[in-house]
Parts: sequence; C-alpha cells; structure tokens
Amino acid sequence: MQAKVNPVGEPLQYADVNRDVIRSLTQTGRRYYIALATAFGLTIVCFFFPWFYQLYYGLGAAGMNHPGVWGTYLANFIFWIGLSHSGTLLSCVLHLTNSTWRKAMYRSAEAMTLFSLMVAATFVMVHVGRPWFIHWALPYSNQMELWPNFRSPLLFDVMAIATYLTGSSIFIYMGSIPDFAAARDRTAGWRHHMYVLLSMGWRGTDKEWHRLGWAYTFLAVLIIPLAVSVHSIVSWDFAMSLVPALHQTIFAPYFVVGAIYSGTAGIVTVMFVLRKSMNFEQYITEVHFDNLGKLLLALSLMWTYINIVELFTGWYSGTSAEHEALKFKLFGYYALLYWEMILFCAVAPLLLISTRFRTSLVPMLILSIAINIGMYTERFLIVATSLSRQYLPDAWGLYVPSLVEISILVGSLAMFVTLFLLFVKIFPSVSMYEVKETMGAPGREFPEKGTELWPKTQ
Amino acid sequence: MAENAVGLFARPELALSAAEELVDAGFTATELMSPVPVEGVEEVLGRNKSAIKRFTFFGCIFGACFGFSLAAGTAVLYLHPTGGRPIITVPPFLIITYEMGILFGILATVIGFFISARLPAMSDRVYVPEASVDKFVVTVPCSNREEFDRAEGILRNADAEEIRAIGEVL
Amino acid sequence: MSLVEQWRKSWEKYSKPGYYDEFDYAWTMSIDLDKCTGCEACVTACQAENNLPIVGEEDFSRGREIKWIRIERYWVGEYPNIKLGFIPMLCQHCDAAPCETVCPVSATYHNQDGLNTQIYNRCIGTRACAVYCPYEVRYFNFTTYHWDAPLEQQLNPDVTVREKGVMEKCTFCIQRIRQAKDRAKDDGRRRVRDGEVQPACVQTCPSQALVFGDRKDPDSQVSQMIAMEKSRAYRVLEALNTSPSVVYLKKVDDDAS
Repeated sequence: MQAKVNPVGEPLQYADVNRDVIRSLTQTGRRYYIALATAFGLTIVCFFFPWFYQLYYGLGAAGMNHPGVWGTYLANFIFWIGLSHSGTLLSCVLHLTNSTWRKAMYRSAEAMTLFSLMVAATFVMVHVGRPWFIHWALPYSNQMELWPNFRSPLLFDVMAIATYLTGSSIFIYMGSIPDFAAARDRTAGWRHHMYVLLSMGWRGTDKEWHRLGWAYTFLAVLIIPLAVSVHSIVSWDFAMSLVPALHQTIFAPYFVVGAIYSGTAGIVTVMFVLRKSMNFEQYITEVHFDNLGKLLLALSLMWTYINIVELFTGWYSGTSAEHEALKFKLFGYYALLYWEMILFCAVAPLLLISTRFRTSLVPMLILSIAINIGMYTERFLIVATSLSRQYLPDAWGLYVPSLVEISILVGSLAMFVTLFLLFVKIFPSVSMYEVKETMGAPGREFPEKGTELWPKTQ
Repeated sequence: MAENAVGLFARPELALSAAEELVDAGFTATELMSPVPVEGVEEVLGRNKSAIKRFTFFGCIFGACFGFSLAAGTAVLYLHPTGGRPIITVPPFLIITYEMGILFGILATVIGFFISARLPAMSDRVYVPEASVDKFVVTVPCSNREEFDRAEGILRNADAEEIRAIGEVL
Repeated sequence: MSLVEQWRKSWEKYSKPGYYDEFDYAWTMSIDLDKCTGCEACVTACQAENNLPIVGEEDFSRGREIKWIRIERYWVGEYPNIKLGFIPMLCQHCDAAPCETVCPVSATYHNQDGLNTQIYNRCIGTRACAVYCPYEVRYFNFTTYHWDAPLEQQLNPDVTVREKGVMEKCTFCIQRIRQAKDRAKDDGRRRVRDGEVQPACVQTCPSQALVFGDRKDPDSQVSQMIAMEKSRAYRVLEALNTSPSVVYLKKVDDDAS
C-alpha cells in the first residue's frame, strides 16, 4: 500500500485533511451546478408533476387495481427505507467494534440514510388515497377526540420511522459538530455564519471530546436496535396480513438482511461517485471497497439462504394457496423479474469471493448498481406477486405499473441525488477528525511503526 | 475575562505532559484543546465521569412509559373494538413502548450532551483556530501577572511551539 | 359517574375476549348455494341501493370494478363433464376481522351490531385493509366516479357517495338496519323483529337463497336455517380464524356418491 501523499509529495498531514475537505465545501465548479440543476429539474418534472396529476385524478393514475391495490409506491417506500438501513446501522456497529476503515466514509453513508428516509417519507404521501388527511395518522389531540389505531402495523411504521428519522439526523449532526467547528474557522461570509450556528461554539476541549465520545457511543447503542426494529416493523405491514405468500415469520429477518444488503450496495455506489467527484482518492481507497465487498458477500449469502428458506417452507407447507403463490412467483407472469433478481442478488455477488474483484473499483460500482436493481425487483415482486395470488382464485389478478409510477420512481432517485448534492456542500462529507485519528499523530514519521493508516487487505 | 496563557504544541504527548505539570503547579482550570480526542487526558485533567448515561437511562424509561400510556390511554379514551382483540392489546403496544423509549432515550442523550458539555457557547470563550487543524493547545486562565509568568515558564519548559496570551492584558 | 368510573366500567367490559357476545345484535346472513342460480340480481340490487359507482368500460377491464357482492365462478372438471360452481362473495363481517386491526386511522371497526363498518370520512386510503382481507371484498375508489345523466337521479339519498381515495365494501345495508332500529325505538324500545330489515341483495334474490337476520335470536329465520342445515353449513376460509358472519349452505350435488 503506497503511503498517502499530499499534492506536493510529502506525507499527508492534518492540515491537508482540513484543506481537502473544506475545499470540497467551498469550491463549486460548473459540473456541480449542472448536476444540481439536472437533478432538481428531474425531481420537479418526474416526481412532482405526475404526483400532482395523481392528486387531481385519484390513484387511478397509477396501475393499481383489484386485487393489486398495492403497487410500486409501496415497493419504492420499502426500497428507500431499506437503502437507509446501511448507513447509520453500519456506522453504529462499526463504531462500537472500533473499526478503523469506517472512518472516512461513514459521514456520507449516514447522509445516505437520512435522505433515503426523507424520500421514503414522501412515498407515504404518494401512496395513500387521500394524502391531505395523512396527519390523522399522527397522535395529536383534536376536536374529534380521535386517536390513531395503535394496534395497526402501519402505525408502528409511523412511530418507528419518525424515531429513526430523528435518531439519524441527530446522529449525523452530533458526529459533525467538530467538523463544523473546523469549517467555521476556515470559511467566510454566509458559510461562516452558518457554521458558527451549527458548531454551537465547539472548541475541542478535553471535556467536550469526552462528553461527545460518550454521547456518540450511547446514541450508537440506541440506534442499532432501533434500526433493526424499524425494518422489521416495515416487514410486518406485509407479514401480519393473511396473504399466503406474505404471512411468514421469516419476513422480519428477510427485510432487515435485505435492507442492510441493498444499503451497503448503495454505500459502494455513493463512495465511488464521491471519490471521483470530490477528489477524495486519498481518503476513500481500495481498502474500503475491499471491506465493503466482504460485507456484501456475507449479506448476499444470508439473503440467498433466506430466499431458499422462504421457498422451502412454502413448498413444505403443502397448502394449495402457498403452492400456487410459489408457482406464480417462479414461473408466472413476473417470472423473468424473479430470475433477474436471483441473478443479480444471489449469483453475481459470488464474484466478490475474489479479492481482485473487490479491489477493482469500476466492477464494484457495476455490481453494486446491479444488486440494487435486483433488490428493487425483490421489493416489487413481494408486492405484486403476493397480491396477485391470494386465497380465492376468482379474485386473482395482475398488476402492471403505469407511466406515472415509473416516472415517480425516477423522480425519487433524482430527489435523493438533489438532497445528497446539497448535503456535500453543507456537511463535510468526510469526517475530518476521524480521519486524523487514524493518521497517527503529527510530527512523527509517517506511517509510524505499529500503527497502520489503513488496515491492509488480507 | 482573565488573561489566558495559551501554549501550542505539535504533538499530543507534549501537550499532555505540559498540562500535567500545570495541574500539579496548582492551575486546576487548565484545558486541552485538540483536533482529535487525546488519549489519557481524563486522568491528567481529572474530568469526572459524564452524567450523560443518567440522561439516557431516564430518557428511555420516560419514553417507554410515555409510549405505553399513549397507546393504551388513547385506546381506552375512545373505545374502538377492532378484530375481536381486547382494548389494551399488549403485543402491539409493546412495540410502541419500545420505539418511544428509544426516541426519548436519543433525545435525552442529546440534551444531556449539550448540558454537560456546556454547549452552545453563549459567550466568548478562549479559542485558537489551530486547535481544529493540527495543533494541541493548552490554555490556562491566569488572574494576575505573576501567575501568567509562572504558567508561561512551564509551557516553555514543555517545548511549546508557540505561546500566546489571549484576553485582557494584565 | 366520574370519568374514572366510566373508564373502569368500559375497561372491564372490553378487556375480556368475547365481548362481542354482549353486543346488541349479531347480524348474520346465510347463503343457500343450492338455491343460488348465479343470476346476479343481488349484484344489481346492491349497486342500486348503495350508490355503487359505475367505473366504466376502461377501468373495468383494468380490474377496478366495484361490486360489493360478486358472484365467483369456478369451473370444475374437463369437457364434457364440466361443472360450474358459483358462490356469492360479500363482506363476511368477520368477528375477528383482519382488516379492522390494520387501519392506521381507525376508519374501520366492529360496531355494536356485530357489523364491520367502514367510515368513509376517516379513510385516508392506505388500502391495507384490502390487502389484509382474505376474501378480497374491499374495493377502492381509484378516482371520483360519476354517473352519467339521468342515472344520478336514481341515487339513494340514504347512502353517501364516496370520493376518490376511499375504501368501501358491503355494509349489510346499514342504512336499512339503522332505519329499522329507529322504527323499533320509536315503537317503544322493542327489538328489531325478524324479517323487518333485509339488505337489498336479500330482498331481491328471486330464489330466496339469501336469508338475513340476528343469530342471537334463536327464533330468527337465519338461526333456524343454520341449525336445520347443519350438515351443509360451512364458512369460507374458516381455517383462517376470521369468524365470519356469513354462513354458506353447500350445494347438494346429485352426482356425488
């Protein structure tokens, strides 16, 4: 592993970290503005305009019917929440295990979590039939003396996602306070004022570091069970129904593993883009992709196992409804999508066994995008195939998404990119103090004996 | 504010030994500012264990009670039989309890952090911008010239890169 | 009685399972499949009585029809020994309804008459109830449907019309039940007599395959029907433990041995 050098050829110093990261905040080139304008424009055109049409016409603008009353909106919702799982959850777990390779990338991963959650929250409003009454799902005292139904899995959803959104935003903010202070010192004008407010007067005294360390650890300890519970609760929207293909206890682990899986693939994609566009080659290296690749492989194997369990228990049950649901899933109208999902999520990730593959960046990018396409297909299939084949054969039907739904999916991706682009100009997207922690103290020989900058690949 | 003797160090061990000497010489309000947390500073400067864990604990307890009473209380307030289930159904309400417990635990941790770290800083406090980049800074508030000279001497002996005086000049 | 007293009384009443048995009525329908000819008169009557929207040809072909009671058809056997079985399927008003627990805004609940009611004004259209219903008898308004003139003249003023985004389903013609109960109250707090209230489908069925009444009253026609035809009586998807209030009487098959 070559030693890190700054542009003048000396070993990387603390000051270089500050300079590089803060430069990414203040210097905006034309490429950034074009990207931001495109993403924002796509959001307006592909997400908001079709949604407004749907608000006017009714949910008939989407392709849903009877019995396929749930469609891509719910699949998108699950997908975006799944994508949100890796960032904060992974960051917390790796923080508690004192891993070093997490340090450079966790800030962007947590940002991914936050924005995926925000996009998922908008899908709740797109999905319901009368979104102007969506506030009735919140517990507030009102004239009607009506409260939401806390026995409902959908309400567990509301509580869990509200908690997760709050927790993720607090977590990413707390971790960024020292970096906001560093940015405050090196910026001027409106940026300086913004960072003065955001950094809350952080000085970096020993007492502040001590308190931050404990608060951060407690937050990590609280957020890990929270993240696991959030996606389990989302899965129970399906698993508590009586639909043959959905009413399974495997759903909670299935969804949590799937969420971490697709989220980690999302992190790989985001890392690649960030590295390229912000010139973070020194900070995000092959080692990160290597470790993420190992994690992806483990998750892929778990996901494959869970799918096999689902198929097996469905077949083993012997009930005609389950058999029909399975047959439809594997060989019915959506069979092509099913086998594409298996190819992208169970077969292709086996390439990650090879170290060379894991450390080559462009193949990792392609694989991560393929995994996310496969995982999206999985969410879509869960909704579409199960509702098509329920207990009463006369009520079997077929669901085909409409143009409005596809456009809104594309628009949601654009919305996520817009939010992320705004993020990289406000939050330091690489955590400066954590990177410095792994660099070894200044003034010593670099890298000093016994402390490696980045863990070597095995 | 009183004048502060400020010493900038390039390496954390030097700053730490300087701080130790200062504390031994009677300057108990010494502070060590750094861009990264420094190992071993708690023993030297005697920071007490944080009170944050108490905030977290009571926040979680409060949140759990709040969650369960929200769910069960509203269910009893407006009777709404659904699905043949009893009015206070424990398994779903336990989930609400759990989520609210974690929510309030998180909020309490944040509040506890701000209170115990005494942030946000409402008034000016002594600060050196290099502390957020790559220097380890020891600050000592001194109330008179004699103390300032003593502190300055200790800092110089400890190989400070630079010594500054911040605050009113005495 | 103070608030706390009220709470305690309600809590005692509702905390034990089986509290539905203490409700005023337990409306039940029995459907004799031997008498049913599949003529779909009940479907038409329901559409007329309850202001069911006419979704139009295009939406119907996309699978968005709204039929609170539908005749399901099942082909059995191969040509030339094909048999067609049909079964009217409507909301079963389950005592352990899976749809009631899942509505996040409490738009559907089990009322004092043992009916599963849908409150259109409260519904925000999450459609979870439709997914959770194993009989798939809940229908969603995908848009605000209109009746072409002069069909809007025949709308029933006792029943609301639903706007887009709202779920609807069979209500056992709750407007008729409510009117019957009001009449009974005006007559001096008597119970609703058997046969006094009939949903539109029951009233219209030409072969009188549908019988409606209160199963808490052992003398009602429906209770006697179920008791007499015990060997034929069954409930659909009983194994799912939904406790439906609709009892089907199996068709007598001459060819079966």
